[in-house]
Amino acid sequence: MILLGGIRSESPLALLTQPLDTLGASYRFFNQRLCEEYAMTFAVGADGVSGTLRLDDETLNLSDISAVYLRLMDDRLLPELESEPTGSPKHRHSRALHDTLYRWIEVADARVVNRSDPQGSNSSKPYQAQLIAGFGLRVPETLITNDPAEVLAFGRRYGSIIYKSMSGVRSIVKKFDDDDVARLNDIVWCPVQFQALVPGNDVRVHVIDRELYATEIISDVTDYRYARKMGGTTTLRAFELSTDLAARCVALTAGLDLVFAGIDLRIGTDGTATCFEVNPAPAFSYYQANTGQPIAMSLARYLTA
Amino acid sequence: MIIVLCDETDASALWATAALQQRGLSPMVLTDSTLAAMRGWRHTIGADGARISLQLPDGRTLEGGDMSGVLNRLTFLPRAWTRAVSGSDRDYALQEMLAFYVSWLHVLRAPKLNPPTPQGLCGNMRHASAWAALAIRAGLPVLPYRQSCGDDPAAAWRGSALAGIQTVFVVANEVVGPAEIVELHQESCLRLAETAGSPLLGIDFARDPDDGWRMTTASVVPNLTSGGEALADALAAALVR
Repeated sequence: MILLGGIRSESPLALLTQPLDTLGASYRFFNQRLCEEYAMTFAVGADGVSGTLRLDDETLNLSDISAVYLRLMDDRLLPELESEPTGSPKHRHSRALHDTLYRWIEVADARVVNRSDPQGSNSSKPYQAQLIAGFGLRVPETLITNDPAEVLAFGRRYGSIIYKSMSGVRSIVKKFDDDDVARLNDIVWCPVQFQALVPGNDVRVHVIDRELYATEIISDVTDYRYARKMGGTTTLRAFELSTDLAARCVALTAGLDLVFAGIDLRIGTDGTATCFEVNPAPAFSYYQANTGQPIAMSLARYLTA
Repeated sequence: MIIVLCDETDASALWATAALQQRGLSPMVLTDSTLAAMRGWRHTIGADGARISLQLPDGRTLEGGDMSGVLNRLTFLPRAWTRAVSGSDRDYALQEMLAFYVSWLHVLRAPKLNPPTPQGLCGNMRHASAWAALAIRAGLPVLPYRQSCGDDPAAAWRGSALAGIQTVFVVANEVVGPAEIVELHQESCLRLAETAGSPLLGIDFARDPDDGWRMTTASVVPNLTSGGEALADALAAALVR
């Protein structure tokens, strides 16, 4: 049996149920919005990991769950808890239930997409960049500093530079311009990440175990994810990676202990690929909807294998 | 040069520093106060690899390559720095600085006790359930772990209230601690530290009246002060390797 978790109507989850149905897979939903009705317990001992999960009117034996795909939102922000005072019994139950679920998936004897610990590298982009480089992929020339003079020298060296967050928060890429020069002294309090602007087209690579889909993104803004907000346009189309680059993407995903990853590349006119980051919880539905690439089917096949 | 990264009040770090000095080594201690007052940071990543350069409060520059061994006991960002950050961007700034620390600590090529992870600056601060599962796979007998949605999630982080806990230390490929436990579980302790990615690991055991010693939990930032000369020797050997 497969356990899906999150908000049932969220696009990637909704999209995944279609191929699971096609494959005749048995699956259940951990619908966060109904968590008030759920209960869970688990144990770790010499006999392995055991326990139960009560969903709606059914109690599942955790050892019967062979695969898990979760896209959980922050349980503290669930709409059902909005009117609840902090620390209320409903809040406490939700938090304890989610914590139990999170702890179980880390030790569960099941195919989990993805466990929490391996997702952590994305919370420090420069740390992840060092791991990516270890798999033979080029990463952008990067400077992290709290010294304004270093930033100006970096800009002179590379011409156009951008800045972006190092953590997973506010991950928006912006070009460094004259307005930024004027407020550059602000960085003395906290180092900021700058990168040489990498020319080329963006390619998102979704790796599911050993299967892979590459999507080229043609956009007229610096960060295509925010094209509409920035008044620009974005077009997506299927793209073919070289055999070597495809193999490196699969190896990188496995090397980060991930099963499912969204790898952000930029490929220059000379074919050189630069890797920006590896997203451990890719919202693949956007790419599938725009290209028809059967990403959900690959994910379903992995979960049912 | 051996670097000790720690909070000012970290008794284990002070003990280790003194022990290293007694063995003829000259560790440089960078406390959280020093790190908070650091004048400059320069961290680069690219085709030439990754580098870190720190400009100390006294004006000296410390390059990552200058470090031959690192005893890393930083559990979070320097308190003096976090106290100075306020306003609506506080949470963002904390996340940014944490991401930066994980990265620059990772750059250091010297033996690190312990290397940083996204789950903890001095190693993966695993939940008790994760330690139990990892220990079982390493071959250690463990006290069973149970959790339900009726429990307070914070309880698992409070540690064991059991009496008579004994700690075994893994330092690189050495296992130090009570002879009775080390003799029985040396190989499993080494396997646990290796799979945990923590060359320095404190592993707590409690005696089960019916079944010998069982692991209760483990720590990537153990209390070192009870380790004695054998632990001090092992630390010195690991840091100059």
